[in-house]
Amino acid sequence: MYLAIQGVMDIESWKSQLRKGAAELAVLALLAKGDRSGTGLLDELALRPDVGLSDGSIYPLLSRMEREGRIAGEWHTPEDGGRGQKRYRLTPEGAAALRHMRAAWMRFQSDLSLVLGDPT
Amino acid sequence: MTQANRIDAYIAALSRALRGFSEPDRQDILQEIRAHLDHRDGEGRLDEALKSLGSPQDCARGFSEELKLQQAFTDRGPARTFAALFALASQRLTAAVGLLISGVFFLFAAGFAFTAFYELVTPELAGLWSNPDSGSFFFGVIDSGSLPETRDLLGPWLFPVAALLTLASLLMGQWLGRLFIRLLMRRPRMLG
Repeated sequence: MYLAIQGVMDIESWKSQLRKGAAELAVLALLAKGDRSGTGLLDELALRPDVGLSDGSIYPLLSRMEREGRIAGEWHTPEDGGRGQKRYRLTPEGAAALRHMRAAWMRFQSDLSLVLGDPT
Repeated sequence: MTQANRIDAYIAALSRALRGFSEPDRQDILQEIRAHLDHRDGEGRLDEALKSLGSPQDCARGFSEELKLQQAFTDRGPARTFAALFALASQRLTAAVGLLISGVFFLFAAGFAFTAFYELVTPELAGLWSNPDSGSFFFGVIDSGSLPETRDLLGPWLFPVAALLTLASLLMGQWLGRLFIRLLMRRPRMLG
């Protein structure tokens, strides 16, 4: 029983290591498809829980990426006077970062797949 | 308490927790978190959103950490790097290890700088000292009582060597500090 629990904990720790850096790549990739608010990004990532972004982690990340110039945020207020939302778009610097990060990720994935081989 | 009151209370507490931020940054964060909570309230998911954001203090800490890391990374100076690691050391093990390792090199730099300064003021007491009897070496300043038993190996070369070692230790401490800052930036605190 102890070993089983320990095994689950180790997997969680390993998954947490895998998420390093992946959150920023996921945000850049989603914004490359079109402008989105923080809520919009979270709704799309809710279908991919292993990416590991939560309400508490996405806004500080967006704030940093905006200061770094990789994304740009702009407030949009609906015409009916409802509360506005800040929507983010990819900047040219963000698009370049995405290209480099995507290429690095593809090389990593390809090499690791070759190392892992066929699971059967 | 109505849902609107709960949102107001959360935003008021978050506003207090964000005291260290500039007013435009603080207002931007508050406005965005309020918009997020209003949106989730409209979907009937306010409880879930509040739980996921964590306490106002935790939420503010997430922004504060990202700001410190980004400033340290952009600034490139040892003071900002060391300050960021120091501020995060109590919350992140990576920052604590980084602070310890880079701190050792900064201490070495201070020691070498002190020796170089002493070489200018009291050259007879500063040096790379060797004690032939015990076979030991010591780099730094000794008291005048130990002089008869020791021999200075560097002589006039002490100042340039100490200055070089000061610079090398500073650069090493700074490089290691930035390495740990980069590691911290790659791993948002509240993932999952």
